[in-house]
Amino acid sequence: MNEREFAELAAGHSLGSLSVQDEQRYRAALAAHPEWAPIVADDADTAALLAEGVPPVAPPPALRDVLLARVAVTPQEPADAVPVDAPSAGTAPADAASADGDAASALPDEGDQDPAPQPSAAAPPRRPRRLLFALAACLVLVVGLGAGAAVVIPQLLRPAAVVALDRIENAPDAAQKTVSLPSGGHATAHWSASIGTAVLVSDGLEPLGTARTYELWFVRGDTPVSAGVFAAEPGTTTAQLRGSMHAGDAIAVTVEPAGGSPTGKPTTQPIVVIPTS
Amino acid sequence: MLEPMVIDDREHAEQDGGDDLASALLLRVAQGDQSAFAELYDMLSSRVFGLILRVLVNRSQSEEVLQEVFLEIWQTASRFTSDRGRGRTWILTIAHRRAVDRVRASQASADRDVRIGARDLDVAHDSVAEQAELSIDADRVVDALSALPDAQREALVLAYYGGYSQSEIATITGSPLGTVKTRMRDGLTRLRTHWGVNA
Repeated sequence: MNEREFAELAAGHSLGSLSVQDEQRYRAALAAHPEWAPIVADDADTAALLAEGVPPVAPPPALRDVLLARVAVTPQEPADAVPVDAPSAGTAPADAASADGDAASALPDEGDQDPAPQPSAAAPPRRPRRLLFALAACLVLVVGLGAGAAVVIPQLLRPAAVVALDRIENAPDAAQKTVSLPSGGHATAHWSASIGTAVLVSDGLEPLGTARTYELWFVRGDTPVSAGVFAAEPGTTTAQLRGSMHAGDAIAVTVEPAGGSPTGKPTTQPIVVIPTS
Repeated sequence: MLEPMVIDDREHAEQDGGDDLASALLLRVAQGDQSAFAELYDMLSSRVFGLILRVLVNRSQSEEVLQEVFLEIWQTASRFTSDRGRGRTWILTIAHRRAVDRVRASQASADRDVRIGARDLDVAHDSVAEQAELSIDADRVVDALSALPDAQREALVLAYYGGYSQSEIATITGSPLGTVKTRMRDGLTRLRTHWGVNA
């Protein structure tokens, strides 16, 4: 591995975004090339500055008491400990929850060279829903940066749903259709069969509480294919349909038990049906 | 017990303690000083919690991770050496890593997805209150991110604030994985230049 390649790994590492495999390559390379440690330290400093863009939030006061009580009975690593275990390999019970996450372990100090335990059998689970509802970028950032940012960032950052919408709009077969909701609001489907993408933007959806959820469907011929679940938000709700849209699919929404229909088929009459052909 | 003062070019001190203070406290924590630990917690817990909450969204999970992070700081403070890094960076790095770990491992990722959208709608209400709290650093973050090419900014924001992996970002943005990796490296380099982080 050359330094340039390592710099890419170090950047991804400092942002916590490497795959398990790349994390292992990163560790191996750093162990073999301690002279690259300054790259790691620079990236860690830079990434930590990104943290300063997030507004502080006071944790519940009771947490402080709990934590201080735990600290009083929790042993520390001795100062001369050989760091053979990863930071989270400590004995704190609470740490167990993140123990398999040490692939992401990284500090601008010796923690980086720890031969951390391999991530346990469980590789990080896939998160299809996270992608489905990936309304990331500016949504995430704007909230954090407050008023000034709210003015600047929306034009600069494109959240994933907007990326999807843009891709639809730019497709030669972009289309949209709006229907009224029983509750009085509206739902607009945007789609392009050529890129296989559909996004539903609705307003005035009723909140369902915790026991039920909205589920999206592509209705292909007579067969509904689940396209993920979503929750209503105050105001406008944007949800990208999971999976690939086919030409002629209808887009539908039903109300299902939390987590989605247990049978894989709609269990209620749809509240939205939008034909696309 | 005081470390030699280091003049930091970043002005954290006004808001929640300078980096040199965090480093000095960490060195005391490494000696088993519980009052130093309490002081460190009081100084940085809001900053750390804000970061965790941003990545994780779920509040109760964020509270758990906050505790994990500070317990880890307590247990491993001896690994922090003031000559090798900034205390504040050390702590924020642990916090971000643990938040991302939890996102990766968590069933709550579904919650997270549907709630991210809701947060956007709170901007209007919160922005006034938050404005008062914005530190000079937040302005610097906005300035620096705004100066990045769109694709680089998107990659950094999705990764750091969103907790998305490189392969997920490739999927979200419809870009090749290799391109995403390069964007992250180039984006960080530009931020560093912008901020003058390089020693």
